[in-house]
Amino acid sequence: MQQYIIRRSLLNFFVIFLVATMVFGALRIDSSTIISNRAASCVADVGGADPEECRNIAKSELGLHSSIPSQYWNFLRDTVQLDLGESFYTKNSVLTDIKQRALPSVELGLLQLVVALAIALPIGIISAIRQDTWIDYILRFVAIFFLGIPVFIIAIAVITLTSQFAEGSFLADWLGPHNTGWVEIWENPYQNLKLVTGAALVGGLGTGAVIMRFLRSQMLEVMRQDYVRTAWAKGLRERVVIIRHALKNALIPVLTVVGLLLGSIVSGNVILETIYNIEGIGFYVVFSAAQFDFPVMQGIVLVVAMLLVFVNLLVDVAYGWLDPRIRYS
Amino acid sequence: MQQEQAVPSIAVPAAEYALRKRPNALQNVLKFTRRKPLGAIGFAMIIFLFAMTLGTPQLEFGVPELPHRPFGVELGQPWMSRYEEEEQFKSITTGRLAQNNSPTIDNWLGTDSSGRDNWSRIVWGARRSLFLAVWALAIATAVGTFIGVVTGYFRGWLDTVAQRLMDALQSFPPLLTLILILTIAPFTSSPSLVVAAFALGFVGIPQVQRIVRGVVLSTREQQYVEAARVIGATDTRTMRYYILPNIMASIIVIFSTGLGVVILAEAAIAFLVPNVLPSEGASWGLMLDQADNEGIGDHPWPAVASAGAIALAVLGFNLAGDALRDVLDPRLRVG
Repeated sequence: MQQYIIRRSLLNFFVIFLVATMVFGALRIDSSTIISNRAASCVADVGGADPEECRNIAKSELGLHSSIPSQYWNFLRDTVQLDLGESFYTKNSVLTDIKQRALPSVELGLLQLVVALAIALPIGIISAIRQDTWIDYILRFVAIFFLGIPVFIIAIAVITLTSQFAEGSFLADWLGPHNTGWVEIWENPYQNLKLVTGAALVGGLGTGAVIMRFLRSQMLEVMRQDYVRTAWAKGLRERVVIIRHALKNALIPVLTVVGLLLGSIVSGNVILETIYNIEGIGFYVVFSAAQFDFPVMQGIVLVVAMLLVFVNLLVDVAYGWLDPRIRYS
Repeated sequence: MQQEQAVPSIAVPAAEYALRKRPNALQNVLKFTRRKPLGAIGFAMIIFLFAMTLGTPQLEFGVPELPHRPFGVELGQPWMSRYEEEEQFKSITTGRLAQNNSPTIDNWLGTDSSGRDNWSRIVWGARRSLFLAVWALAIATAVGTFIGVVTGYFRGWLDTVAQRLMDALQSFPPLLTLILILTIAPFTSSPSLVVAAFALGFVGIPQVQRIVRGVVLSTREQQYVEAARVIGATDTRTMRYYILPNIMASIIVIFSTGLGVVILAEAAIAFLVPNVLPSEGASWGLMLDQADNEGIGDHPWPAVASAGAIALAVLGFNLAGDALRDVLDPRLRVG
């Protein structure tokens, strides 16, 4: 077990090294655009400055004046020392910026998962124990519907409908986007929840549909197991059989899926964060990509990769802990 | 008694026997519809979508170019569109541009802010969305399957290295990768749809590879693969003639579900960062973005048309993909 964790961790660091190399390479394939952008703004600022000089200044500001191998070496050295550089745009340290924006993303992700589970657990169970009845068909169709309709279309529809037909009311206030900027939960919990509830509900529908379908198929499999039949034969009540014997075992694989989803939700809620003006990681990625903000893009990719690989490891370890039949190799 | 029963079955002519054994295509379709009604609805939607892209082929050949020359033959105006892509309508009474009209007999889904017919633009846009998706998926499945089969078959250090590489690729936020490729790629002096297709395909490679590798890992332990090895088949031959045909079902499933994902991804990028995508021709995502900027509440019709098209397309591919997976390859079932 210990060996397994150590080996996986080492492999994870190799993966992160690969990610770092790739993102470094990708950003240096074509840096002429960003250099000429910077140079143009320099020429405009100074007025009548030598364009070539401006290019050189821009290059040294961007850290692009040295050779590629030495840039690469510097980049790796700084990364190992947890120095991700400064944003070209905000001039803050990238790590500070990411820390600041991690919280909204994590909060939105967790809330979205809570919504998803609140929907998925009861619906998945009902749909499985009443398999092939009309209620199962309806629930499954609703799930496929929310899985199939893109999240940004649901979000736009919800925002438009509430602002159109319930303007200024409770609904529009809680389900629509706000332009007030981020408020920490310990400063003003009410305002904070108002910012994320709409996004969490809309995102939770789609995620909930994924979890519900998975839970249903797991439940169906578990319900056919011998120990569940034994539980029925003992004359236990339906509630006890379903919850204590079937659900407990069906939940193990579901939990791993939830864990994997959490990683991608926290790092990849670009669409919801943009539509709902939540200044999280995803929002920041798109914003910095539009500005060619190299250090920020490098930093976010590295942090997200780190998060994903270690969440994956955690999920695998948790899986073995919950289900001792799993062997590591 | 038993002998009497056995006689007719021998006496049946071979042709008739074959006919009874293999139901014809129509019977297959009917059976599928009965077993998977939702899947059949999905397929109907997909067929309708592809019918939208059809147009009279022009006598112009050349390098494939999206959106109107997807396979080297220039396609004319789609049969289902009623008007030209950029044709603008004028109001009969006032003589001004018919901006943001509600549906009429002439404009089934109303007009947009430039007075263009929404229905026709949806039909023109179908060509762009669908062929972009087909090209992207073709790239992703071809490369992903190749890597997946080779690594899954040989395993060992090659597999380990490739797996880590795919892990690394997958831990990039997909939208960031797309934006990166679309903006900084050296081959884009101006963004082109072919590059967009390449970018979308590239993002899909690790996902395809992962699934294919998993299926190959279980297939290579089958007895017929072992038998092939025993009779001295080379590695290439084993992969080509024994493994590949047997994972074809999985690949078809990946392809059909992937199309929906790519259409969705293209629409999402067009909506979030419209300037990185080329604006050649009508596009569902760009239509929705434009409608959103101009205020959906005031002029709902362009938004309803484009959002409806995206949602129905994705829904159709999901429904069909689900049903296909259940029928062709229950191994991949998730829920």
